[in-house]
Amino acid sequence: MSTTSVLPVDAPGSSAFTRPEDGIRRAYRAEVRKLSSQIVIRVVALLCLAVPFIFAALLKVQSGAPADTLYGVWVHSSGFAVSLVVLASAGAWGVPLIAGAVAGDIFSSEDRYGTWKLVLTRSCTRSDVFVGKLLAAATFVVGLQLLTGLASMAAGVLLVGAQSLVNLNGTLFSPGHSALLVFLSWLTLIPPAIAFTAVAVLLSIATRNGILGVIAPFALALAMQLLLLVGTGIWSHLLLIGAAVFAWHGLFNVHAYLGPLLVGVAVSVIWTVVCIDVSWALLRRRDFAGTPVSRRQGWGGPVRVVVAITAAVALIAIAGNWGPAGVTAKRLRTDLTPAFNQLTVLQQRELGRHVPAGAKLTLVLPTCNRRGSVPYGPGEWICTIYVQTPSPGALPSQPTAVAYDVSVNWDGCYKAQSPPAFIGQQMMRDAHGHNVVNPLYTIYGCFDPL
Amino acid sequence: MAALRASGIVKRFETVCALDSVDLALETGQVRGLLGPNGAGKTTLLRVLFGLVAPDAGKVELFDRPLEWPESDALEGVAGFVEDPSFYPYLSGRVNLELLAELDGRAGTAKIDDALARVGLAGRGDDRVNGYSTGMKQRLGIAAALLREPRLLLLDEPSAGLDPAGVRDMGELVRELAGHGVTILLSSHQIVEVEGMCDSFTMLRRGRVVWDGTAEQLRAQAPASAYHMHCSDDARALELAGQQRGVRATPSQRGGLALAVDLGVLDSYVLALGSAGVAVRRLELLASPVESMFFALTSDSERPRNEPPELAELDRRALAGT
Repeated sequence: MSTTSVLPVDAPGSSAFTRPEDGIRRAYRAEVRKLSSQIVIRVVALLCLAVPFIFAALLKVQSGAPADTLYGVWVHSSGFAVSLVVLASAGAWGVPLIAGAVAGDIFSSEDRYGTWKLVLTRSCTRSDVFVGKLLAAATFVVGLQLLTGLASMAAGVLLVGAQSLVNLNGTLFSPGHSALLVFLSWLTLIPPAIAFTAVAVLLSIATRNGILGVIAPFALALAMQLLLLVGTGIWSHLLLIGAAVFAWHGLFNVHAYLGPLLVGVAVSVIWTVVCIDVSWALLRRRDFAGTPVSRRQGWGGPVRVVVAITAAVALIAIAGNWGPAGVTAKRLRTDLTPAFNQLTVLQQRELGRHVPAGAKLTLVLPTCNRRGSVPYGPGEWICTIYVQTPSPGALPSQPTAVAYDVSVNWDGCYKAQSPPAFIGQQMMRDAHGHNVVNPLYTIYGCFDPL
Repeated sequence: MAALRASGIVKRFETVCALDSVDLALETGQVRGLLGPNGAGKTTLLRVLFGLVAPDAGKVELFDRPLEWPESDALEGVAGFVEDPSFYPYLSGRVNLELLAELDGRAGTAKIDDALARVGLAGRGDDRVNGYSTGMKQRLGIAAALLREPRLLLLDEPSAGLDPAGVRDMGELVRELAGHGVTILLSSHQIVEVEGMCDSFTMLRRGRVVWDGTAEQLRAQAPASAYHMHCSDDARALELAGQQRGVRATPSQRGGLALAVDLGVLDSYVLALGSAGVAVRRLELLASPVESMFFALTSDSERPRNEPPELAELDRRALAGT
């Protein structure tokens, strides 16, 4: 060890004894550099970029479509639908996975490597390091989520095309309007993504266990998706981050409704604030006294976390009927009728038949009944639409009953499918001889449950 | 001005009292050895001084600025490490230092190059840390501390894992830093390694300070050095020891004699043995005066593996002045 330079002795109050400003910025930059150096993060980024293209390419070479997902049947008709299908999966599963991979180990890795004592003895305070890590994790999670969004839009447009998108009322959004709405939809994932990040951070700090921190956000998302299937009330559902990831549905109505979106943002903020507060309280009071033997070998911490999560899930499940039912026969009936009307017009135009502007079918309001013990709430419904179709020699025209099996989610989004007797097959040949999706075969719709 | 002043530090971990009313003061420019056996509380004390652990009682001032928990500005000008220096293994040594420099707000390639060169890692700076040996990590830990241009350096077992050349270099570095007015607290249970570097010592035992003072005071109060001697005639050597002032000898269970004797007296004793026709076949230093003091003060602590049991009795008698 050569010792050549001279170290001056400074007095207190000189620069050597003054902590530099911008501790958070310095901690943030250091953390960003660490994260970008990790192989796991690089692999996740690669997947975020590649998976949408792989998905779009697979759709390109096969005729099937993920019809159970909102906009699933439209993936061959518009590249924007490809992005929306990716968005639905990303919201439910992708974002929790990304949040876990990025933030679930961001604090516990310091325990694993034994580097807390290295970081906390520099010129950044404990709160600087905490906020810096938090911001870096949020940056990466949001960045990777937007990367997925942009990649899915690019994949859809490049491999399927930038065609107009059918909205949830049965009319067409122009390509530009569609692109804007799809991009906005990806932006709506940011608040829940940050909330999942905060959950991952909390688990990372509380358990000091990287594996639990990475896996638990995904497990929590899974539990939330299951809880969304339970009960008929809307309040407990709205309290879940898992609900906020679907709040973009309201944007795709002609008259967009923003209630669920605003509630989703508020709920995400609450989850974020609570998780961050608890995380900071744990980190702030922690003694970095090495790793006690009991913590190294014990399962106490993880078990406590699992028990707490299970108890919370059970509580929310019990509260599943809390609040008014968002899904009622009236709301479903009122939403399905104009959608059916508009999609019929769209179908006729695609078939090359002349439909005057403002033309409407003569419809009798449908009847909608829920299959189940109660006549409201999400689940399986059957709606019968009566269409007045003119028959040669028959006056007045006779109503034709079209029965739709409707699967309705708690948030008012539904998928309605009918046997092809009246509405035709899933694919039809348009006026130009192309095989296109029959708009009436599967009807997607959403109504405001609030 | 005191670089460090800790008073009445108490820290308990569940039922264990790791630090019990510890007082410690270092004047600017001092090099203090913090000595004690494993479990004496040295590392816990350093963690308290670094703000990593909040004491249950007591206060710490660094350059007259109170250290507060969990965060404080008082750590500016302070550097070092606790236990073995740990780094991000998936990054190179250089990138690790760059990250730390970023946290310090002192980023600069030249400083990092200089720090790596100082510790002899100039050629390995771009290698990933997971390929570093223990000694290399120790050197990187020193480099990380030097990056902060510290005025107070707290080092926990700085020679651990270093090869003999590394230990020597470490000693030179400490002396040079001290020469430039840097205050240094060296924690170690290897008293031999820090004995020559320190101008004062604090000894801990079971979380309490059992001795505190300058090196001169320690040497003045220390018992004689302990040796193990093999010679051609133990009985005659014992007889001569009895006649020689300042030499205490007793037969060793492993053969030969255990001696407690100052270096100057030892010379004349060996010459006397030669004059009496007793050949000294092997003379082994078991404990220097400072070591003897250390072992005596921490008597239930570990002792050298090759130490004969008779030495404890010699220590006891030496300390008692008998």
